Amino acid sequence: MTAEGGGLRWMGEQAVVTAPAEIDAANAGEIRQALLAAASHDAAVLIIDMSATTFCDSAGVQAIIDTYNQAAATQTQLRLVATAVLRILTLVGVDQLTPIYPTLEAALAGAPTAAASVPDPDDPR
Amino acid sequence: MEVGGVEVAAPVSRAALEDRLRDIQSITDAALSRLDDHDLLAELIERTRAVLLADTAAVLLLDFSSGHLIATAAAGLEEEVRQGVRIPVGRGFAGRIAAEHQPVILDHVDHSTVLNPILWAKGIRALMGVPLIAGGKVIGVLHVGSLTPREFTGEDLELLQLAADRAATAVASLMAQEDRVAAEALQRSLLPPAPPVVGGAEIAVRYVAGEGKVGGDWYDVFTLPSGQLGIVIGDVTGAGLPAAVIMGRMRSTLRAYALESADPAEVLARLDAKMQHFEPGALATVLYAVLDPGLERIHICSAGHYPPVVASPQRPAELADVPPGLLIGAVPGARRRVATMRIGQGTLFCFYTDGLIERRGQRIDDGLARLCQAVKAEPPDTACATVMGALVGGEAAPDDIALLIFRRQP
Repeated sequence: MTAEGGGLRWMGEQAVVTAPAEIDAANAGEIRQALLAAASHDAAVLIIDMSATTFCDSAGVQAIIDTYNQAAATQTQLRLVATAVLRILTLVGVDQLTPIYPTLEAALAGAPTAAASVPDPDDPR
Repeated sequence: MEVGGVEVAAPVSRAALEDRLRDIQSITDAALSRLDDHDLLAELIERTRAVLLADTAAVLLLDFSSGHLIATAAAGLEEEVRQGVRIPVGRGFAGRIAAEHQPVILDHVDHSTVLNPILWAKGIRALMGVPLIAGGKVIGVLHVGSLTPREFTGEDLELLQLAADRAATAVASLMAQEDRVAAEALQRSLLPPAPPVVGGAEIAVRYVAGEGKVGGDWYDVFTLPSGQLGIVIGDVTGAGLPAAVIMGRMRSTLRAYALESADPAEVLARLDAKMQHFEPGALATVLYAVLDPGLERIHICSAGHYPPVVASPQRPAELADVPPGLLIGAVPGARRRVATMRIGQGTLFCFYTDGLIERRGQRIDDGLARLCQAVKAEPPDTACATVMGALVGGEAAPDDIALLIFRRQP
């Protein structure tokens, strides 16, 4: 996956980065760079497509969180697509930051998801 | 070589060049078998100075946390090391070499080209420096200087780069070794040697470094003045000494806030705020549990950490229902929620880090299912042995593993 190569593609104003099958300390640095580059393009929406990702450890989670913070700074809305790694992303609370969709089509359509996308300090839960 | 009282540089023959190469090779080959990198560096610069007929030689190593090059070894320029010279990457002669990953030759040395006053005060007239690169990263700079005017040649540069390349690998592996020893010592000093004795509580622990390398996993268990028992398990993203250092700071910070608040959500929220301010960029999962003085209830708050596995004599093991919360260090003001549950007599809680259940090529749910199968409401020491046997077996774990098992006496 590279920032300007096959990893990043545009669907209108929406940028899509496809993540590899496995993300760990060995490749997370490179992925993080590609994601940060993608997040600095002033896209309206950046989608990280992790539908082919089956393993994502804490280094991968760090790359996503850094991307979220970068995207927030440039007013880019971040969306994720995940199935196999949905559990780990939910566990570490990534779904509280950004909506997670089961398919790329759903992410492109951008319907609201069940999980709140922004932490609400007044939420009594 | 002197001709009529005037020193001239002789054309270097192929054989002479090979001799010079061999000289340099001999430094690093011998050094690889030694453990002290200061000996290696001292010998490297002495040989480099001799081979290049230079007056001074120095090595500056990059301190990753500050982004400064620090004078570590010098010949003919010992003041550099004794005065603790630090050069920011990107500035001055050495700083430029490190920033651009490129050699720099200066045949004019003064305050406009060189940041470090020691170099020009010493009367150095010409300087040549190259980056030390290991694993694609600059780890330092090696430079030589001349007290008389001199134009360093392309061949000189080639030799210096060769010495640097050979040395970089050795230095990097020695530095990694030193870091590993320091991280292990730190890790050992921070994990409580024996759990506190609390009436009715049985506790057992395990820590295993992943593939020989410690990381940022930790557990902690302590009593509070109120008579409550605190249990912590956490995992700092990253590995080695940097992760272990951050882990140490988080452990102390959490203990301090635990004294101030009985609410685990409040403690984690304060820890999060402290980390975001003082350790920006650091990320960690932490679970903090507070048990009532009679051990009848447990209050658990998770910041991105796996929920514990609960087992009781009456019920098979399952994952505790703990609301997920964002990792520590992710975003400011994350919501923190607490799950409170009753602890029956003989009930066991198994706290662990991801190294126990995550394996490449396997789904996390499979790892969690295997863990739930392995956990039984047995004495904690036995339970630790059973869990490690079932999930690790004879394999070396790729990532480090922390495991803490608590049981309320049956």
